[in-house]
Amino acid sequence: MASQRRRKGESLFIRYLILGTWALFCLAPVLWFLSIGLRPRTEIITPQPIYWPTFSLDAWHMIWSDWPMAKYLRNSVLAIIGSVVIDLVLAIPAAFSLARYEYRGRDDIGFYILSTRMMAPAIVAIPIFFLFRNMGLLDTVWALMLVYAAINLSIVTWIIRSYMIDIPKELEDAARTDGASDLRILWEIIIPAILPGIITAAVIAAIFAINEFLFTLLIASTPNAYTMSVALANFTGGSDGLIYNAIALVAFLAFVPVFLVVVAIQKHLSRGLTMGAVKG
Amino acid sequence: MARIELSGIQKKWGAIWGVRDVNIDIADEELIVFLGPSGCGKTTTMRMIAGLEDPSEGEIRMDGEVMNDVDARDRDVAMVFQGYALYPNMTIYENIRFPLRMRDVPKVDQDRLVREAAAMVELGDLLDRKPGALSGGQRQRAALARAVVRKPQVFLMDEPLSNLDAKLRQAMRIQIKHLQRQLKITTVYVTHDQIEAMTLADRIVIMEGGLIQQIGTPDEIYSDPANTFVAGFIGAPPMNLIEGRMEDGIFTAPSIRVEGLIRNLSGPVTLGIRPEDCHVAGAEAHVEGTVFGVEPTGDMTYLTINAGDALIEVKADRDYRSDLDVPETVAFDPARIAFFDTTSGQRIR
Repeated sequence: MASQRRRKGESLFIRYLILGTWALFCLAPVLWFLSIGLRPRTEIITPQPIYWPTFSLDAWHMIWSDWPMAKYLRNSVLAIIGSVVIDLVLAIPAAFSLARYEYRGRDDIGFYILSTRMMAPAIVAIPIFFLFRNMGLLDTVWALMLVYAAINLSIVTWIIRSYMIDIPKELEDAARTDGASDLRILWEIIIPAILPGIITAAVIAAIFAINEFLFTLLIASTPNAYTMSVALANFTGGSDGLIYNAIALVAFLAFVPVFLVVVAIQKHLSRGLTMGAVKG
Repeated sequence: MARIELSGIQKKWGAIWGVRDVNIDIADEELIVFLGPSGCGKTTTMRMIAGLEDPSEGEIRMDGEVMNDVDARDRDVAMVFQGYALYPNMTIYENIRFPLRMRDVPKVDQDRLVREAAAMVELGDLLDRKPGALSGGQRQRAALARAVVRKPQVFLMDEPLSNLDAKLRQAMRIQIKHLQRQLKITTVYVTHDQIEAMTLADRIVIMEGGLIQQIGTPDEIYSDPANTFVAGFIGAPPMNLIEGRMEDGIFTAPSIRVEGLIRNLSGPVTLGIRPEDCHVAGAEAHVEGTVFGVEPTGDMTYLTINAGDALIEVKADRDYRSDLDVPETVAFDPARIAFFDTTSGQRIR
């Protein structure tokens, strides 16, 4: 009995050791970033190791005074929220159709939507550049919104579809005999029932949008449409050289809200990412 | 209130038959039960009445009006589902009100109707709860209230009690029958449980393989089965079916001999006799076999006799006891014997 208990304790200890090591490995860069971001620039680039770092808000003041950081932030938020809204408006009806109606070519259409995610984005970079130039949308937040929406539409559709498939068909049949039209079934029965799935899809789309770099760089040629991700890249140039502490701080600040949201919905998120893995 | 006619109804998915040929005339205010094993087409037939499936062939009429092209939501049919199908994000009150809202019942009437329906199934004090906070029986009652609230032309019930435990099932059975009599609404009830069918139905429709095997009152179905499928499906234990030969009014099978049958029959036939029409006999026995099993249930004893090729079930006296494998004799009540064609399974009358 006693030896059994000790063995159980040992195995628990080993589990915590492995998980703790892994967590440290994953989080160390984040903490390192924070540490860099909160130290004076001179201290970061010295070759000697420093054991007791000096705390400084230099970088914090710098990013707000030397750059239009508020504008970058606004661009990011606008483009991301706008793109997620576009995605949901388009993906919910599409997913409903894919999940619930039977028609010829349905599965092919579903695959086609998913396949837009399979090619390397760079392939369409030049056509997209010309497209937006002809529409006069280059260097605007609107263009970013549309590009992010296009990139994420397929994955949002498929996540929502997988949640919809899991709703018992009986619910819909009940609503139909109760006198509800398809639109009301979608609006009053399906959407409330899969709200966690919709939120998950929205968060995943937002994360992808925050991290988007290639198209943003292509479309945003001036600070007018810069987002956080492209702004970060711009800290590397100019007469000041690499401004490590500002980069680190901005990266950390961009990371925190995403991190908090993911922690808050992690249960649903894992369900969304393994969509269709268990059933349907 | 409505009369429902199904004529020549077929349902096919690709090469798979759901329903082969169904013709039923359901009277106004009737409670009709579709009974059969799973996959027999009973639920599909009901879904076609609801408008949730389109028949491949045939016509569905309500009060003489062809309904084939009428959408489910315009049919004035209320359905109760096996899994209750309550809307999980709405309270019980909102659930019951949903059909009224969808049909644009004036707001002033909605509240009164919801409360009336809830009172009818004794659910008044649970209206603020969500379905998830209710027990199975309460959910079933909420589903019933949602169905009755708008006083539809037709009730459709798809195995509504099969998720409940036995005791609750009996209580709900009585409540459903009472409700149906009170509201006088034509009701189609689907089940695979024969006790439910026998106790609830005005008429039972027995289905198998997408075909109707027999339509009749519970009494007719029980005492006058149309074929061996019905005979073997209804009753617990079901009717004994013994394959044998008929010659000069004498039925013979290994260890079995029944004389004095005034029947103009000869050749191979199947004899059918219900367990309660068999008796442990003295002198005038029809069966001479050995005891295969004795199962006392308290109010009676199920006795199984091994007779040649057949095992014969007998409902014996509650005091009957016997060792196994000892010889025993059984007599049939000749008036209760039914004959079936051995090849086709059809009743020979």
